[in-house]
Amino acid sequence: MIRYIIRRLLVAVLLLAIISLVTFGIFFLLPKLAGQSTDDLAARYLGREVTPEGLAGVKAKLGLEDPFLVRYWEFIQGIFVGTDYKFGTSVTHCPAPCLGYSYRTNEPVMDLLLDRAPVTFSIALGAAILWLVAGVAIGVVSALKRGSFFDRAAMSVALAGVSLPMFFTGLVSIWLVCRQLKLLPTPRYHEFFDNPALWAQALILPWITLAFLYAAMYARLTRAGMLETMGEDYIRTARAKGLPERSVITRHGLRSALTPIITIFGLDIGLLLGGAVITETTFSFAGLGQLMLQGITRSDLPVALGVTMATGLFVIIANLVVDILYAVADPRVRLA
Amino acid sequence: MRRTTRRGIAVLATGVSAALVLAACGGGDDEGGGGSATFNQGNTSIVNPSDSKGGTLRMLRTGDFDSTDPGNMYYATAWNFSRLYARSLLTFKSVGGQGNLEITPDLASGLGQPSADLKTWTYKLRPGVKFSDGTPVTSKDVKYAIARSNYSPEVMEKGPVYFRQYLSNPNKYKGPYKDPNLDNFKGVETPDDQTVVFKLSQPFAEFDYLATIPQTAPVPQAADAGAKGGVNYAKGVVSTGPYKLDSYEPGKSIKLSKNPNWDASDTNRKQLLDNIEVQLGVAPDEVDNRQMDGSAEIDVAGNGVNAAARSKLLSDPELKKNADNPNSGFLWYTAISRQVEPFTNKDCRIAVQYAVDKTGYQNAYGGTTGGDIASTVMPPSLKAHQKFDLYPNNNGKGDPVKAKEHLAKCGKPNGFTTNISYRTERPKEKAAAESIKASLEKVGIKVNIKNYPEDGYTGGVVGDPKFVQKNQLGLMIYGWAADFPSGFGFLQQITDPGALKGTGSSNISHIDLPDIAKKFQDVVQLKDEAERNKVYQEIDKAVMEDASIIPMLYAKNLYYRNPKMTNVFINYGYSGMIDYANLGLAK
Amino acid sequence: MTAPIETTGSEAQAQPEAVLAGIERKAIQGRSLGQIAWLRLKRDKVAMGGGILVVLLILMAIVGPFLVGDPNQPHNDLIDPMLSRPKTGFMHSGMSADHWLGVDLPAGRDMLSRIVNGAKYSLLISFLATMLAVVLGVVFGVIAGYFGGWVDTLIARTMDIFLAFPLLLFAIALVGVFPNSAFGLEGNGLRVAFLIFVIGFFSWPYIGRIIRGQTLSLREREFVDAARSMGARAPYILFRELLPNLWAPILVYATLMIPTNIIFEASLSFLGVGIIPPTPSWGGMLNEAKEVYEIAPHFMFFPGMAIFITVLAFNLFGDGLRDALDPRSSR
Repeated sequence: MIRYIIRRLLVAVLLLAIISLVTFGIFFLLPKLAGQSTDDLAARYLGREVTPEGLAGVKAKLGLEDPFLVRYWEFIQGIFVGTDYKFGTSVTHCPAPCLGYSYRTNEPVMDLLLDRAPVTFSIALGAAILWLVAGVAIGVVSALKRGSFFDRAAMSVALAGVSLPMFFTGLVSIWLVCRQLKLLPTPRYHEFFDNPALWAQALILPWITLAFLYAAMYARLTRAGMLETMGEDYIRTARAKGLPERSVITRHGLRSALTPIITIFGLDIGLLLGGAVITETTFSFAGLGQLMLQGITRSDLPVALGVTMATGLFVIIANLVVDILYAVADPRVRLA
Repeated sequence: MRRTTRRGIAVLATGVSAALVLAACGGGDDEGGGGSATFNQGNTSIVNPSDSKGGTLRMLRTGDFDSTDPGNMYYATAWNFSRLYARSLLTFKSVGGQGNLEITPDLASGLGQPSADLKTWTYKLRPGVKFSDGTPVTSKDVKYAIARSNYSPEVMEKGPVYFRQYLSNPNKYKGPYKDPNLDNFKGVETPDDQTVVFKLSQPFAEFDYLATIPQTAPVPQAADAGAKGGVNYAKGVVSTGPYKLDSYEPGKSIKLSKNPNWDASDTNRKQLLDNIEVQLGVAPDEVDNRQMDGSAEIDVAGNGVNAAARSKLLSDPELKKNADNPNSGFLWYTAISRQVEPFTNKDCRIAVQYAVDKTGYQNAYGGTTGGDIASTVMPPSLKAHQKFDLYPNNNGKGDPVKAKEHLAKCGKPNGFTTNISYRTERPKEKAAAESIKASLEKVGIKVNIKNYPEDGYTGGVVGDPKFVQKNQLGLMIYGWAADFPSGFGFLQQITDPGALKGTGSSNISHIDLPDIAKKFQDVVQLKDEAERNKVYQEIDKAVMEDASIIPMLYAKNLYYRNPKMTNVFINYGYSGMIDYANLGLAK
Repeated sequence: MTAPIETTGSEAQAQPEAVLAGIERKAIQGRSLGQIAWLRLKRDKVAMGGGILVVLLILMAIVGPFLVGDPNQPHNDLIDPMLSRPKTGFMHSGMSADHWLGVDLPAGRDMLSRIVNGAKYSLLISFLATMLAVVLGVVFGVIAGYFGGWVDTLIARTMDIFLAFPLLLFAIALVGVFPNSAFGLEGNGLRVAFLIFVIGFFSWPYIGRIIRGQTLSLREREFVDAARSMGARAPYILFRELLPNLWAPILVYATLMIPTNIIFEASLSFLGVGIIPPTPSWGGMLNEAKEVYEIAPHFMFFPGMAIFITVLAFNLFGDGLRDALDPRSSR
């Protein structure tokens, strides 16, 4: 067991290293390959007249002239032991894990991430609970009552659900619920510890919109999985043994039908924690996804890099948790 | 100007419209709350004048300030906001209407005293002014503020550098972060604690305008050192205004509270509020809605409301009476690059002047309340403005016949292909670019639209002649407002051949006519304002004859004037936005 | 990005044994699998409805742009100069006999024309991206499945890494740092090519995994063994023996990937990193509508519905196709 976990951990670390290298390459190598000089890059960060001294200052500050691997090494170093940054006369120590400083606001990227994370986490976790419960429940019931009115209605709605782009349902729901019917105020984020009621009120619409899409997908997946499992021989055996139907379904059917769902859930939640970009854009919530978009449009590369790294980390952790859960539940996995 | 919301100085729309507004609201001093308010009342008078004290003013903003450091800011909204906690040598008068364009002493006790050759300007500080920590302000603090903000590009990269441009610097002073000994900085002298003397390398008749820039607000050298100094000073600005900066979290919030050591003889500001809270990073339509639903008072960005709120404000008379639609002093224009083929040929430029549909441009900027159709470089809000129209084209709708005539003259009877650039973050500029594309295609000119990030648009894109040529940017969407409200402040940066430099020039049309350069050199030696204005008009005409700038709109903004706020007026010294330094809340 | 897997519970398609039994009873002569699938598909009214809609949409994307006029033609006269929104029409949409779906704002461009032209780009990008993904997925899937060993391990791990990547964020980042011109292309041409590449390149593992699994099971079949024992070389077995048996899953998953890719492209355009305006795209229209939907809800409604109908049509057809081709799924 311990060996299995260690092996998965090593794979996770390797994955993270690959993701960081690729991301770093995209941000720092691609512009150069595309023919942009360091002067071009530096000029982006000068607000006022571009002078040689100004350019040199920016280049030195951002380390634009250093070779790629040196910069990657410094970045990795920052994560593990921290870095010192020079602003004018003052030297600021950025303690590990340091993801660098925003080119635009001079804020440590780590602070920005920590600042934005609660917003994204609130959206993702709330929606995840909703969609997991609703999606799986609907999928199971549909599979068991296959062909019934409920099954057909639920699957039609689910098909519509996976066919509706989320930014459209989001906009329509704000328009309908907040503007036309005025059932809710326009969503604006509140800190949970500030006022839990307002926090929940602000998140209802994003949760429902996001969960609607995923619940539809999960309901379809669960139904398919259940149908397949319930046709397997061992289910027939269980029934033949005279086990009560309830136990057949929950102990045997559901258990194996849910296995792939949990894998996908791990992946989905990891990706969403790293920035529900579309939800955040649609509802104008300042979460990690918005931070990423901002970083990209304002050429604030350390910020964009930080968000991507964080997302990679979340995905990997979510996968790791899923893997370990499997190993706990099913001893065969450890040997695989 | 390099950034739209930056400085903009506009005298009130002169003449007819001003008179109409005055007539409509029956003068400026009427008392009372929102009940008796009228549309555009804030344009000409102080609305809800009151000395009622207390309360917390809640400000909102979609983006963030470029900085809270008075030495490192360039947007008009930041300059306006900085006056809450920083006093510059001079400022604009706190009165309603165009009177607030008048320069008035602030930290200084009087206007600048020029030498006969206009190369030495002397200011005396008002006695008894203290920092928020109780230490007295001296002339050294002003000198230090100028030194750090203008000579340290490696730290302070956001503000203008007029002082570096005009002050003499015989020993190439490198800024206080590299050279903390201020004696090496010869551009400013401090013969005693109350006197600041500016030594210019060239005559400059309009130096008093520069003294209104927040960079002249004093900074104690001791507070700008170590980990708290440099870029981090923005979070710990030492206040001289009625409020002090308690905290600044970039992208999130700014908090101000009363400054106990404020010099109450300051007539340019009021200290009525207990606290001011700015919430940053709020979605655009949320900013609009919250001003109207009472959960906040004012949008501090100062660009006015967006499309949805505009429609709501203008179609409901109860809301409309609490709205102002002043001139912002901005000119929205499209620059034609004189370096890019076939625009090296003047007739090709004139063809575009005739072909463009300015009404489409106007729709893009919000219709008639977004701006008036323009035909000159200088907007009517400047005293130097003179109306003329060298390329009349059906009231802005475009004249394809004339355009084709000139296309034939420039040897491209069947049109040609060119590119137009706009700033990614600006949907209005995008719509404007699309409108130009559509109107030029009617005469056979094919246009490809290109977008670039707002940051660095002037620095590395349209302001870089090499970039413009490499990417063949024949047309460039741009906006401009003066850093200070004179013809010089408006025209020099965008039309003076002398303003051309390697990169980062705002003369993006690449106007290099020696005749215009000569006029700029001469005009700053004229002591008489009226004479200077005549020269500015000549320059305006010369630029239009050259056809390298297509004036599109004299911009206007639509503001919601929250009836809860007191002492509300449009300050034309700051892009025609609501003055922040005098606001209070009604009981 | 999870490929939708199950179908609506339609009765007709849910009774394959009965269907097959019926076929066998009526006609004695042998039918190929394809013929059987077609017969089953024909009886699935919902799927056929989706299929017809798909054909109509493709026709609209190809022929439509020639019928609806210039999507970039502004109609400033239809816009209220004060409020800068359409003057007339239901809920200020500008709807009229000339503009069936109204006009957009602020320029007053014809919505119908923009939606029809948007279909062109949406379908073009999603089709070509899907093709790219299918080609990559099939090639790597077959190679991994057939050769096994370290080749399989390498490809399977690579696919895992791809699936763990924050795909949308990467697409945004790539578009964000990519220059305005490269490979002799620029502007929208380059952007379209780039979007096809990004979408296709990041989604091949989804189909790759399925093909790998199928190949793994096919490899052990007798006919492959037979070919191998007769001395057939790997390329022959791959292309002549395996590939013909993979066309069913390829077709099904390609059909189901198209709607996913349509939404992907629309999402990128919605976030402002997709098709470059003023070239019309559905996601781009929603991006513009986001600022003004309160005063002009039609501007949000029509492009959204266009995406919905198109994606739904492909999903319906794809689900039906799967049921017809893959007896397992409808057991």
